[in-house]
Amino acid sequence: MKTAFWLVLIVLMGAPLAGCLEQTSASEECVVLPAGHADDGVLRILTYDITALSDALTDEFTNNTGIEVEMIKVDDAGGILDQMMLTKEAQQADLMIGLDNTYLPTAIANCLLQAHDASAENISDSALDFYDGPLALPFDQGDVCLNFDEDALSEANISAPTSLEQLTGEEWKGKVAFPSPVTSSPGRAFLVASVEYFDQQGDGDPMAWWEDMVDNEAIITTGWTEAYETHYTGGYGEYTEGYIGDAWMTVSYCHSPGVEAFYAENYTHSTSLVLDHASFHQIEYAGIINGAAQIDGANQFMEFLLSSEVNINMPENNLMYSVIEGADLPETNGYRYHADLPSAVTTMTYEEIEANMDIWLDAWKSATKQA
Amino acid sequence: MFRTSVWMLRASVVSAYLILASLPFIYALRRLAYVTGHSPFEALMRFDEVYGGAEALTYTLLEASVSALLTVLIGLPIAWCLGRYEWKNARILRALFSVPFVMPAIVAAMGFLLLTNSESGLFQIGIDLRTETGVIGDLARLTGWDHPGHFIALVFAHAWFNLSLMIRFVEPTLARLNPAWEEQLSLLGQGKNRFDRLRHLWWPVLGPAVLCAASLSFLFSFTSFALVKWLSPFNNTLESLMATYGGSAGIEDYRVDTSEIVMSASMVQFLILLFALYMTSTMQQRHSTRFSLVSEGNAKSQRGPPRMGAKIIVYAGVVFAMAPLFTALFASFKVRKGNFSSGFAYDWSLDGWRAAWSGDLATMGIGDALANSLLYALCTLCVALPTGWFLASTIHALEVEKRFKTAKALDVLTLLPLAVSAVMVGLGVLLGVLRLMPELFQWSYLPVVPHVILTTPFVVRVMLPAMRSVEPKWIEQAQVLNLNRYQTWYHGHFSFVRGPAVVASSLTLAFSLGEFGASWLLVRAGSWDTLSVVVDQLMSRPKFDPLVQPAAMAAATVLMAITFLLFFVAERFRHEGEGGGF
Repeated sequence: MKTAFWLVLIVLMGAPLAGCLEQTSASEECVVLPAGHADDGVLRILTYDITALSDALTDEFTNNTGIEVEMIKVDDAGGILDQMMLTKEAQQADLMIGLDNTYLPTAIANCLLQAHDASAENISDSALDFYDGPLALPFDQGDVCLNFDEDALSEANISAPTSLEQLTGEEWKGKVAFPSPVTSSPGRAFLVASVEYFDQQGDGDPMAWWEDMVDNEAIITTGWTEAYETHYTGGYGEYTEGYIGDAWMTVSYCHSPGVEAFYAENYTHSTSLVLDHASFHQIEYAGIINGAAQIDGANQFMEFLLSSEVNINMPENNLMYSVIEGADLPETNGYRYHADLPSAVTTMTYEEIEANMDIWLDAWKSATKQA
Repeated sequence: MFRTSVWMLRASVVSAYLILASLPFIYALRRLAYVTGHSPFEALMRFDEVYGGAEALTYTLLEASVSALLTVLIGLPIAWCLGRYEWKNARILRALFSVPFVMPAIVAAMGFLLLTNSESGLFQIGIDLRTETGVIGDLARLTGWDHPGHFIALVFAHAWFNLSLMIRFVEPTLARLNPAWEEQLSLLGQGKNRFDRLRHLWWPVLGPAVLCAASLSFLFSFTSFALVKWLSPFNNTLESLMATYGGSAGIEDYRVDTSEIVMSASMVQFLILLFALYMTSTMQQRHSTRFSLVSEGNAKSQRGPPRMGAKIIVYAGVVFAMAPLFTALFASFKVRKGNFSSGFAYDWSLDGWRAAWSGDLATMGIGDALANSLLYALCTLCVALPTGWFLASTIHALEVEKRFKTAKALDVLTLLPLAVSAVMVGLGVLLGVLRLMPELFQWSYLPVVPHVILTTPFVVRVMLPAMRSVEPKWIEQAQVLNLNRYQTWYHGHFSFVRGPAVVASSLTLAFSLGEFGASWLLVRAGSWDTLSVVVDQLMSRPKFDPLVQPAAMAAATVLMAITFLLFFVAERFRHEGEGGGF
């Protein structure tokens, strides 16, 4: 047995020495890569669980174009980037749908996307503000901000905070849940918002605030789902299994109370905290993967996704705002009424996010002592 | 000549399986070593520097040890009562106790969340394991123990999950133990009282089986992920730590910290689990060779029907085994109502089932997903059963030839896939396929590969004790009857291992149905999705839409029903006295 034990260990310990160092470094300049997989006529879409990409929608596309669609699903927007990075040598998908503006700069910097031919004609300026280049097009948008439970605050006789600093007070101890920016895209969006919020204050230090929040027993979760469903008292989570309900405030979208009302016949006790520069205008993108085989199909799907008929239904099908010029949320069941619009969202540019995201994440990890 | 050919075939199957099972881990290690610049040994040494590593290891060891102990405490009395008496519905009872072990962890987690919510019986009697008020809250305050309710729920869920291990290991030994042993011992000085009988009879007879089941319970609790994620959200195990940060592991110049976490944690986990598997293998060998046994029917008929105490224990066990599953069934009909401003409001309807069937809320409906699941399960069976059979027969043949060290080494090597983190295997499969044959990603049957890797150890575990118990004289007797080689093999060998083969088949099918591997594939096309993947998809999506949760429970219910059916059928094929399956 001893022999076998040591044999296994030696094989496994020695494996890395067996010629692994031939892997090459990332190229500095982007070139269009040859297809990473054979073109069998199927359009493969790398995405996360985007509700708009239903069977009905893809069937409609297939009926219109004759192109079959296959979804490769990962957990979230970060998973899309990870997947594209890992399969860089032989990409297995043709089109990515779901990277947001906190991830897009990294994807572009790593040459993971190639130019598309889809038209951006009917897309609103607000959706094109962040990135208007040839490598990706926005397909939905929404503002990430803090949501709070009106009933819980009223019961505790607390008024809604008028600044982020107030959240470090005793009355908010253990009552705020944040999805981690390291593992969640809304978490990442709110981190950017917090940086800009304190930047606007002049002498504020966002990481000191995060440190104070952790000292005030803020709950850090891996994803939006855990923060909103398990911990937040103001949302539908209290009707789902696993609910703990120990947070009066969490990060979600400014229009999340509208979505709550839409599904609950115009009732919600959740509202959003609209503080200047404490919300982030999140935009989600579609783009053709560098190394795609079905480029024509990918272009056609982007056109289809951005057509007025499909994109206008984003609020109902994807719980996000459409990017079509002039589109708005429906009024059904108080969807639009309960959806708040922030007066001043973050103005971080593509370049600022590209240059600083890793620095902010490292600083956040140090401040909150999170992995 | 024939003998040489058989050994060559055995060597080929063994090599192919070992390469298939170890390559992903080796590929993943190589990549992580390249990205982090550390050798696996250095990664091991740096474990205490990994963020959250020490806390996760402490929590993992604690919950896995307590879970294993609890499994013994709950499972042993049930196995004892089931094995000692003549039960009218023994097959149904065994099938019922087997179902939890092959349930997808996400379904088990949902069941336990339903059992601990504010409408549950536990909550009504003041035991609030979820929001930790009342007694549990007091316990937390008095002891300073963070989230004791979550820990208790987790270890009970693990005990529920591993219950069948205890029953499958212990019950057959008890059922077939020659009652004469007990009678003879009670007449001797060493068996006069209970303690003496425990020391001189029951511990030597059952000890190895109990320890074997306990070490496997430890192993499965150690690698648990979904149950930890849902039931104990404030704590990480090594597996959940790796799963949380593993997505970006192995990428050059990007999030190198996650590669360090995964590499260090996986090395620590691998070594601990290798030790646990070695213990399991040793215990199982003792368990399967120690005593001569009699026929199950004969032994039980001498002890008669169950007494009231035994009935209470077994039926309470059935309630424990079935409760999370029935709550999931009920939850599939429970749809949140629109306006709930006045408090909780639910409708009982089939809307969740309709949504699950239509596939509007997931990549596909449950009909298509079930067809995929069954197809993959059958393909897995076609490969895993012969592979496991060959591996077991090779180990047994080595033992017969008294090459015990080689047999033991191979025995432990076949268990290796159980010691490797799913995150590592996922990364390894991705890197391996990318390097060797990227076109495999477009091959519809790729999900069968991880299913085979993970189900084969179970086939070996089931078949090996059965092969050890086949007496060589049975083959000799068949030869005397002037039968040809194949008839001799059939009558002198196969007919004695047919029962365990049926059990191994049902386990393989059930494990494959319950996923066990599809989620390893980091590149997973929607058209491959199985029923358990659809359950996971539904549970992971935002539940603003009130139909999402009942639809997930409906899909889980179908999975449970199919699994129960499989085990029930397997029990019908398994003759009395053919052993319990491990």
